[in-house]
Amino acid sequence: MTHSDGSQSFEMSSTPGTEVLAKHGKLSYLSHLQCSGCGREYSFQEIHTFCPDCQSPLLSIYDLEHVRQELNREEISRRRKGMWRWHELLPVQDPNNIVFLGEGDTALLQVPNAGKALGLTNLYVKDESTNPTGSFKARGLAAAVSKAKELGVKKVIIPTAGNAGGAMAAYAARAKIQALIYMPKDTPHANVEESLMAGAEIVLVDGLISDAAGMAGEKARAEGWFDLSTFKEPYRMEGKKIMGYELAESFGWSLPDVIIYPTGGGTGLVGMWKAFAELEELGWLENTKRPRMVAVQADGCAPVIKAFEAGAAFCDFWIDAHTVASGLRVPKSFADALILKDLRDSNGTAVAVSDQSIMEAQKELGRLEGIFSAPEGAATYAALKELIRRGWVQPDEHIVLFNTGSGLKYLNPNR
Amino acid sequence: MGNKILYIEDNPDNMMLVQRALEARGYHLLKATKGLDGVATAEAEDVDLILLDINLPDIDGYEVARRLRSSEKRALTTVPIIAVTANALKGDAEKALNAGCDVYMSKPINIRELWARVEAFVPTP
Repeated sequence: MTHSDGSQSFEMSSTPGTEVLAKHGKLSYLSHLQCSGCGREYSFQEIHTFCPDCQSPLLSIYDLEHVRQELNREEISRRRKGMWRWHELLPVQDPNNIVFLGEGDTALLQVPNAGKALGLTNLYVKDESTNPTGSFKARGLAAAVSKAKELGVKKVIIPTAGNAGGAMAAYAARAKIQALIYMPKDTPHANVEESLMAGAEIVLVDGLISDAAGMAGEKARAEGWFDLSTFKEPYRMEGKKIMGYELAESFGWSLPDVIIYPTGGGTGLVGMWKAFAELEELGWLENTKRPRMVAVQADGCAPVIKAFEAGAAFCDFWIDAHTVASGLRVPKSFADALILKDLRDSNGTAVAVSDQSIMEAQKELGRLEGIFSAPEGAATYAALKELIRRGWVQPDEHIVLFNTGSGLKYLNPNR
Repeated sequence: MGNKILYIEDNPDNMMLVQRALEARGYHLLKATKGLDGVATAEAEDVDLILLDINLPDIDGYEVARRLRSSEKRALTTVPIIAVTANALKGDAEKALNAGCDVYMSKPINIRELWARVEAFVPTP
């Protein structure tokens, strides 16, 4: 609350990290929003989607100089676990607006059996399946719904390949915000059920996520729903970027050599690359070495791979997208330019894998490590094999695979 | 090569956004808000590229593309056509390419991508 003398104080909250507010008196150091295309700046105190001038995604810019002066990394490490212990670097201003369901601080598992099978000594899986609603989507939607609540939004809409819809439904339910979800009619059953269970309204679309996006966008414009589509609002990326902060902390404030990431919309990949830049500016890293980022897609929907290999700055819309990994069935990301730029800036690469190799990888991760991964997560293991075949990774490099969700969400109840 | 671009689009906001973006790069924009008007303008003028919305109030963008490609005016059988649509319904991209469009873009139109797509066919004046 704001006092008569202009100073601010906050109620204590059960949300991790916010107990220390009395010391700093400031929950977030968000400074402004900035267009990733033309650089135009916007206030974070108003509702924004993407840049109206050039129609590129907006980025959240923080006053990192003051964060550096007033906070140290050890303090964050001492806080109770959860994504919001990094609240200075997240966009919410008032702790009462934080919608927390337990997201963040997922396990970074060393996977020695899989590593041995592949001839690698330092292989890890960042296992996002323990997030609320069983996938990494919880992080982005926690941030986006919390900020939407803070900005007074009453109803949110999203097109989804599945997991983002389930996550939005859960956070919107807790925030008492109305939720409407457009998803392909062949979306995994669990995503439909979890969304309905959380009280969301669902429209099943005869098409892909791009079709759902077109319909949701039209509905949003016509009826004033706030659109939480990937990169069409600025804050989902902020939740996802915390994966990058957690990795740095887990590796003793340095970064792994290679990160292999399944790339549909690309929020996590772009978000982590942003986190690494922020970490460097904060002076929290032990060295300046950055990971090589690898985008993984299915060969039935590989717009990023095609554009990366062609040296293009944007992706072509992928015709006839199909893959068992529903989260990778994104014919063209709204942030394709950012994804491609970050891959190149990191000296990374892009790899397409077949559905068959994804299914084999899923079994292998289960058999060797007891991880029942989402097919998107398994795709990273399949891609790693291809990178080994190409000689692109070295046996002693620190390599992180991202398992973005639980395989349990993809069970077919009719089988 | 000239710098004349025809944009067939019934949404005034999109029209204004694209006009601003392309004129800033030195292109000359011709405008049509209906499919039939667009075809007529393309027949009457020498255009170097056509931006084509799919959802138009009279004939749709697919039909516009088909009519342009079967025109007796030879230049229209090869003029680059970039399809732009908000309702990316299932198969729309395929339909646009099958109707004779060269490239498919979905809205919202990222201006940097638009510049890149246009410049691939018509160099900046």
